[in-house]
Amino acid sequence: MIQIKDLEKFYKTEEVQTIALNKLSFDVKEGEFVAIMGPSGCGKSTLLNILGLLDDPDGGSFMFNGTEVAGYNERKRSELRKHNIGFVFQSFNLIDELTVFENVELPLIYTGVKPAERKKQVEAVLEKMQIMHRRNHFPQQLSGGQQQRVAVARAVVNKPKLILADEPTGNLDSTNGNEVMDLLIDLNEAGTTIIMVTHSEHDAKYSHRIIRMLDGQKVTENILA
Amino acid sequence: MLKNYFKIAFRNLIKNKVYSFINISGLAVGMAATIMIGLWVTDELNFNNHFKDKGSIAQVFQSQTMNANVNTSPAVPRPLEFALRQDHTDNFKHIVMSSWEQPRYLKFGETNIYITGNAMQEGATAMLDLDIISGVKDGLKEKNSIMLSESAAKSLFGNETALGKIVKVNNEDDLIVSSVYKDIPTNNSFSDMEYIIPWKHYVTTQPWLELSKDAWGNNSFQLFVQINENTTMDVVTSKISDVKKNASSETAQFNPQLFLLPMKDWYLRSEFENGVQSGGRIENVWLFGIIGLFILLLACINFVNLSTARSEKRATEVGIRKSIGSQRSQLIFQFLSESFLIVFLSFIVALGLVLLFLNGFNNLASKAIVFPWENLQFWLISLAFVIITAFLAGSYPAIYLSSFNPVAVLKGTFKSGRYSSLPRKILVVAQFTVSVALIIGTLVVMNQIQFSKDRPVGYDKEGLIQIPVMSNEFIGKKDVMRNQFIASGGALEMTGTSGPMTNVWSNRSGYTWDGKPADFQEDLAYTSVSYEFVETLGLKVTAGRGFSREFASDSNAVLLNETAVKYMGLIDPIGKFIRDSDTEDPSPPLKIVGVVEDMIIQSPYSPVKQAMYVFDSEDNTAFYNVRLNPEKSTSENLALIEGVFKKNFPNTPFDYQFVDEEYGAKFESEERVASLARVFTVLAIFISCLGLFGLASFVAEQRTKEIGVRKVLGASISQLWLLLSKDFITLVVIALLIASPLAYYIMGQWLQKFSYRTTVSWDVFAIACFGALIITLIIVSFQAIKAATSNPVKALRTE
Repeated sequence: MIQIKDLEKFYKTEEVQTIALNKLSFDVKEGEFVAIMGPSGCGKSTLLNILGLLDDPDGGSFMFNGTEVAGYNERKRSELRKHNIGFVFQSFNLIDELTVFENVELPLIYTGVKPAERKKQVEAVLEKMQIMHRRNHFPQQLSGGQQQRVAVARAVVNKPKLILADEPTGNLDSTNGNEVMDLLIDLNEAGTTIIMVTHSEHDAKYSHRIIRMLDGQKVTENILA
Repeated sequence: MLKNYFKIAFRNLIKNKVYSFINISGLAVGMAATIMIGLWVTDELNFNNHFKDKGSIAQVFQSQTMNANVNTSPAVPRPLEFALRQDHTDNFKHIVMSSWEQPRYLKFGETNIYITGNAMQEGATAMLDLDIISGVKDGLKEKNSIMLSESAAKSLFGNETALGKIVKVNNEDDLIVSSVYKDIPTNNSFSDMEYIIPWKHYVTTQPWLELSKDAWGNNSFQLFVQINENTTMDVVTSKISDVKKNASSETAQFNPQLFLLPMKDWYLRSEFENGVQSGGRIENVWLFGIIGLFILLLACINFVNLSTARSEKRATEVGIRKSIGSQRSQLIFQFLSESFLIVFLSFIVALGLVLLFLNGFNNLASKAIVFPWENLQFWLISLAFVIITAFLAGSYPAIYLSSFNPVAVLKGTFKSGRYSSLPRKILVVAQFTVSVALIIGTLVVMNQIQFSKDRPVGYDKEGLIQIPVMSNEFIGKKDVMRNQFIASGGALEMTGTSGPMTNVWSNRSGYTWDGKPADFQEDLAYTSVSYEFVETLGLKVTAGRGFSREFASDSNAVLLNETAVKYMGLIDPIGKFIRDSDTEDPSPPLKIVGVVEDMIIQSPYSPVKQAMYVFDSEDNTAFYNVRLNPEKSTSENLALIEGVFKKNFPNTPFDYQFVDEEYGAKFESEERVASLARVFTVLAIFISCLGLFGLASFVAEQRTKEIGVRKVLGASISQLWLLLSKDFITLVVIALLIASPLAYYIMGQWLQKFSYRTTVSWDVFAIACFGALIITLIIVSFQAIKAATSNPVKALRTE
């Protein structure tokens, strides 16, 4: 599904140039659950942003489903993103002004799904995430675990092929964290490819494969299952 | 999608009440001001729209050159009509001679009214397309007929039929009502015309009118025309321009150039400078149009500034939306639809404000504007106005907000750039530049009016009334009336004059005097006056004396004003003669018996015109000027004078004007400009201050943590106040530095149009700058002190 080769990313400030990704290469197959680990500043999040087409690489190749997407413009990227990729963030990133239902509905609006169909799909996913009873609440009225469940619901409502999770349990206690991980496992078992950046060895064990990074490069790769 | 956008926009509005209030109230005030100015401008531009043939109706004007000065005037000689009918009739659909608008007494039974109207030729009714309610279409055909407006007929006859009734006009003529026409609405020429009498009747009423038939030099009439469909104003002008010059060798020396002034220009572009059309009221239309636009821009600036200042709060949403597939164009559309919502809400509030203040605005602007509820065009323009305003206010914030990098935003590393506040600073400077320039401009206009009001008028206008006595029944009664007025105790003195003391009704040339330069083409303001002219008006005689009953020779005497003495180049003028240059049938020479100080009779902004006050030996009195008795109250005096008047002229209504009020009316136009400018300046300042308040509170909020840390480290309240205030003060000082020279230049130019003008003095700038700084300090300090005195522990906990 994903092939990256010699991927590079630099950050420039006035004085220095930092290498965030240094000729990074690896593949992810469809249906895989990959965890990416490494110390802060090793380039994990940068990688995730590039994989999510939120950011552009400065060099190398990025094939998504057999197509080179590294040079895509903003319009093409957003088109590809909204149909294929779901995001789960550490800080949930829900829109405060929208209710649970409306937050989850948002990706469907962007993909042009009709209102009646949207309602059906959103309710289905809220049921699945067990937060249907909170559908009319605003994010600030929910606990952290509930907010992350909404975020996951929003990430999957479009039935994306790929879910990118950036420390999805980072802001949660262990009980809520485990619940979120169980959700991700369920999704993966249903066929969704998941790439998760995490600091947590515990969470990483849920994955099929752990890629460890340092200074923008892959240092080891452990296959768990 | 749109629903989603509006939902978020609406929830944001509710959540951020202070910002919403600032945005909506600022925009509403700005839009209300713009709508009112728009209604006013439309009203001005629609002047004369009542006339369906507006495009083909014109008035004949003439420019004449005297001593290298070109004077342009609508006054034309009577023979011009005959010449046009004889040689150029194929160009015209109608040629209509008209008198000037003149008040007359109309009497039916016991009812007596005093109304204004004109004497006009037959084509008038068709040319003006008068809406005849009853009677014949052309009611001017019969010599002894009169046409009345609906309201005049109602005041004269009540609910009775007017048609066929005989009306006594000026206690002299019996005229039969031939038709009644619907009143011409205000905001149109001729709207004061409440009667029309036939031209052929008018020209036989007085001997001078009979004589005017061949007098090319007697410019005492108006001539209206409607041109044919197959020609244009310019073509007709080119054909008739030299008609007078070629017809009369006597007036050819003044190079009279005739031209048509189209009806659409009568109101807005009726001023001429050296023979060239130089504008008129259209300048005010432009002026207020621009002010309206500026006020709207000021309100939009508030929106832009507050939206971009608060961008960090919206950044997360932008990041999320982008990460789940929103394109930038969709985000731009979202933010634009938000600004549309806010602008729309502001528009609703603005409409409420307009309805609330329209009456007051009408009073201020001397208008009768009605809110155009049923005018589809108004609503379409309003829709366009809302959309344009939404774009104006929302474009920059939409482009700016949608440009955020989702990665930076979602990682929480997003910070506005170092220069991100620069556009805001520039916009604040722009706002205050406009506000301060408006303050300076308004102060200069007010100063100019006061300066002209303080100008010595040359006579005592307080306690002086003028009674119009223009009909023949008053002839020969002047001395009797004077004696009775004085005897009644209501008056100290009285004099008769052939024109009012607040206008020049007649200008004359055709004189000669010892020492007159060979090519000198004189143009003198002419008024015939009676004995006690000097005493009644309280004039100061600077040489010689006033007219006196003790000198029989005063029947051919003249007084000059000081300007006339200089103008005519007279040295030691007393005892010298001014002679008629007509050698065939000259009038008797006029002996200069006195020189009086200049009196302002025309514009208080212009130099006093050279004037001659000729002793009235033929009783051409048009006004009794009565000096009231200062020992009694005005109402007592008026009651006594009215008593005398009624005793002598029981069938004539007693009408009078206070001369000081008539004089005050000369400032009306400028005072109206000043009061409108005052209102709009206050609004501009209000909107700018509102924006400043919003930004100051934003900055205070943004720096809460910094303030807390500084306080913990020992900063005093005054140090914190300075920290928060100095940036804004700097911006306003920059605005002052830009606005001052700008306003100095513009107002200097504006003052050029007045010959008698004030200077743009330093105190105007001092007041404007001091005012702007004080207001800024108050607004900014309010927020700064609030932030500086808050509990630092609370501030630090906000992390």
